[in-house]
Amino acid sequence: MSKSKKGDKPPEFRPGAWLQGTGPEHDIAICTRVRLARNLRGFPFSPCLADHESRQLYDFVTTRLAQGGLPENLTVVHLEPVDELERTVLVERHLISRELAASKRPSGVAVDADENVAIMVNEEDHLRLQVFAPGLQPGEAWRRAERLDDALLQRLPMAWSEEFGFLTSCPTNTGTGLRLSVMLHLPGLVWSEDIDKATNTAQKIHLAVRGLYGEGSRALGDFYQVSNQVTLGRDEQQIQNDVLLAVGRLVQWERDVRAALLRGSARVRTLDRVHRALGTLERAQILTSEEALGCLSAVRFGREEDLIDGFDTAAINRALLLSQPGHLQRHTREVLKPEERDQRRAQLLREVLGCAP
Amino acid sequence: MQYCTACQKAPATVVIMDVAELSVTGSQHLCQACAEQLGVATPKTPKFSADTLEMLLGGIKQAKRATRAEACPGCNLTVAEFRSKGRLGCPRCYETFRAELMPLLQRIHEAQTHTGRLPGVFAAAAPPAADERSLSDVRKRLEEAVRGERYEEAASLRDELRRLERGPTT
Repeated sequence: MSKSKKGDKPPEFRPGAWLQGTGPEHDIAICTRVRLARNLRGFPFSPCLADHESRQLYDFVTTRLAQGGLPENLTVVHLEPVDELERTVLVERHLISRELAASKRPSGVAVDADENVAIMVNEEDHLRLQVFAPGLQPGEAWRRAERLDDALLQRLPMAWSEEFGFLTSCPTNTGTGLRLSVMLHLPGLVWSEDIDKATNTAQKIHLAVRGLYGEGSRALGDFYQVSNQVTLGRDEQQIQNDVLLAVGRLVQWERDVRAALLRGSARVRTLDRVHRALGTLERAQILTSEEALGCLSAVRFGREEDLIDGFDTAAINRALLLSQPGHLQRHTREVLKPEERDQRRAQLLREVLGCAP
Repeated sequence: MQYCTACQKAPATVVIMDVAELSVTGSQHLCQACAEQLGVATPKTPKFSADTLEMLLGGIKQAKRATRAEACPGCNLTVAEFRSKGRLGCPRCYETFRAELMPLLQRIHEAQTHTGRLPGVFAAAAPPAADERSLSDVRKRLEEAVRGERYEEAASLRDELRRLERGPTT
């Protein structure tokens, strides 16, 4: 394991799990994420840490993480010297949360080279382990997270009790500390206006439905995150089963709706929508982030349903990421005004998707 | 009883003596009111009334209750802070705010007890027991020792801290 020096840029672009466009149900389920909340004994939880304790904790944890012997090969990225733009880039790649990006405390993230494993240090919990797997693969993501967790439990004195399991600052994470979420692309449910019914149903069985970037974020481009809310009183296997069952139903619902959208008189309207989106991406000179996401969503749908060809799902996923404000400005290596940003976005999307200039 | 030489009405409670060359050369007996008026006595503080006593004791009682039952001994978080922020301050808060926490857990999870995996025998940390306290205590004592430049003591505390952090198995 290596430890990056202060001032180092975060690792260069590698396609994380959510960009690969592979895995079970990958036409609808973009990726699966396991998140584990863990805290150290002998320290207050992060929100109550005094400044010197915060530093002490951060140094202690990152030193242990850098000692090696973990089942993952991780690089520690210290966030203190990382500027706002680079932090945004890390958020857009789902490696850190928006809360950690905004944090003034000593904080960082240990990431593997493929960006499928990330351990946030000094977030709301002292450690937040994240493991990503492409498509709908809760079991795969869980096994990898469990192995890493086992190794960390042997190296760090974690706070836990027989009664409450893993102790966390927020009672919504107490117990397993496990949040299992699946990122879903649900254009069919949005277009057919069934999405509210679908999210209400999910909420009734204690699943949270959120936007692409988690809590409080809007569902942009028909992308949603579905995750368990209960972490206490259900074990890890039950939580996986709950999520798998509910997501399985949502995926089936989405498939049924897509089939209906491609049948009879609805078909031509759906085709029109997909081709208009493609036309916009190919020809537009100014594209806002929101319009770009809408178009990319429609084109992704068209690609998955074989309505159009010429590029693969991975390219569309990549375009989705690169059109986000942080990545866009990083790509052009300058801070851009919104108008310039929209112009560059249109240009960049044409490049990524291989359209005519 | 001698009466005040100034007003001749009230009993004299203040005696002013003229002292020259270590012997008393004259004296004046005054009552409190006259002595204050002449600027030779400072006003007496009002007597403790039952009300002020009650107020003070009440305050102490309340403060005691606040530190004993409301604030967590591990992190000083009060129950009011927990209620307003919805975040616990440290592992010990789980016991301190148990009464508040249990119904909350029931509402969120429809359960109050963990059924998932636990670190078990391989864990670096034993389940939180009596030494949960000693860990933070030792850390505090270590900081004090370093600040007081008592390095020998600090070194042994550091070793103790390492041993505690490592836990019983490694």
